[in-house]
Amino acid sequence: MNMKARRIRINGFTDIPRLMSKLNVTTLPDFFILSESVNKSMPRAEVIDKMERVLNALEESIVGALSQPNNTESGMVAGGASLLQQFSAAGGSLLGTAFSQVICNAMAVAEHNACMGRIVAAPTAGSCGVIPGALLTVAERHHITHERLLRSLFVAGGIGDIISIRASLSGSTHGCQAENGSASAMTAAAIVALFVDDLSTIESAAAFGLKNLLGLTCDPVGGLVELPCVKRNVVAAANAVACAEMALAGIKTVIPLDEVIDTMAAIGNSIPSTLRETSKGGLAVTETGQRIAATLRDK
Amino acid sequence: MGIFDVMGPVMIGPSSSHTAGAARLGYMARLIYGRPIKKVQITLYNSFAETAHGHGTDLAVVGGLLGLPVDSPQLRESLAIAEAQGMLYNFVWKQNLAQHPNTARFLFYDIRNGNNRESGDGSGTFSITGNSIGGGNVRIIEINGHRVDYSGYHDVLMITYQDVPGMIGFIGDTLGVRHINIAYMSLARDAVEATAMAFLKLDAPCPPECADVLRANPNVFNVITINKLGDGI
Repeated sequence: MNMKARRIRINGFTDIPRLMSKLNVTTLPDFFILSESVNKSMPRAEVIDKMERVLNALEESIVGALSQPNNTESGMVAGGASLLQQFSAAGGSLLGTAFSQVICNAMAVAEHNACMGRIVAAPTAGSCGVIPGALLTVAERHHITHERLLRSLFVAGGIGDIISIRASLSGSTHGCQAENGSASAMTAAAIVALFVDDLSTIESAAAFGLKNLLGLTCDPVGGLVELPCVKRNVVAAANAVACAEMALAGIKTVIPLDEVIDTMAAIGNSIPSTLRETSKGGLAVTETGQRIAATLRDK
Repeated sequence: MGIFDVMGPVMIGPSSSHTAGAARLGYMARLIYGRPIKKVQITLYNSFAETAHGHGTDLAVVGGLLGLPVDSPQLRESLAIAEAQGMLYNFVWKQNLAQHPNTARFLFYDIRNGNNRESGDGSGTFSITGNSIGGGNVRIIEINGHRVDYSGYHDVLMITYQDVPGMIGFIGDTLGVRHINIAYMSLARDAVEATAMAFLKLDAPCPPECADVLRANPNVFNVITINKLGDGI
């Protein structure tokens, strides 16, 4: 490749159709592969290979997470995914085993993270269960090819990158909406990309995913990535599936994705710092939350 | 950022700043110190100190000092590995609002007969301070009392020397004839000891042969080279 190729500047999703026609690429994964390759001066094959390693680590995180019950010293993570597995295996699933698998795997990976398991921080460690829980489960259930699944991860990463450009992926900057909200948007878009290439369908899924979780604050008990983080991963994964299905059904977002992202930043800026990962407000300062934090400090 | 900053890092949980960043700080401190670690005191400040227990910050820092990357499951057993390898460590927990919320300071002991020419202060110690600045990214801000700014994205050369005229020219020429370009350079001096430290970010790694030429200069006390960090570290 030409190492001196000009940098591809992406300021928002609305830039993408124009850039795609200029660069003569026809699908969103190909566009993000090319932009990453040009902007990071990396050969295309290396970009693909790097994502193969990410996919491998995502798959391994599920296997590792389900291999044993995950419990933390604080007691806030107490083998939830194991209970979900047993419940589903005993026929308790409310909506069939596919949905149970989504919520169980999201919870398992998030719990695994809390127990010093090996995970992919995509987009963050606090939201690491969403992509493996929702995207990988949908891909498995629909027998999606490895290549198509791999390509969908570029959509997830590309949407996340746009969010990081216009806003932030950090809970300490914009609250949980920036972590689990972004994860849900990225995952919804990637699920759609497993099935169709249409840009507006992918955009709608991402916009729904983020819109539905706007305003979420970050108020972890004891400053740990456990409560409410773990169960938020479950909700963000379920939300991603619902949003992808809405988009695939042809429902269009009224507010464009870029405007939704800007709204997330605006809301994030008005969230007080007590609710942005400082554990000085919200659930962290409930009577029980403070008691747990005090017990941890004494250890 | 970039797509792989979003889709990663692959890491041991639970926190990119308090676990992965902590491990990376230990890893970078090991590289900068550049010798087998016999004894080290680790001071964790502020949020690092408050929530170290639940985040495995202490395990991660020690793991990094042992050379474990941020995605190594061995980080969980780092304290036992340190013991098995005979690496002595102790932790100090501090609150200091003048420091970044996630700060770790490393104090390495026992250097060549207790006479530490590297730090220039004769204390027999070597200190490194760094911050975990989010998303697993870190910044080294202090080495032996000299202010630096290093995040692992460049090849680095650090030289401690007797503060006499002509040393900058010597360093520049030595790199220049080998076609190694200097991207950034800062100097710090210790007036009492009449020593100085040059901190250089390079566009290419400083090869061992070049480092040996620098070391051979009678005014040079110490040369440390660090190659930029690859993926997964």
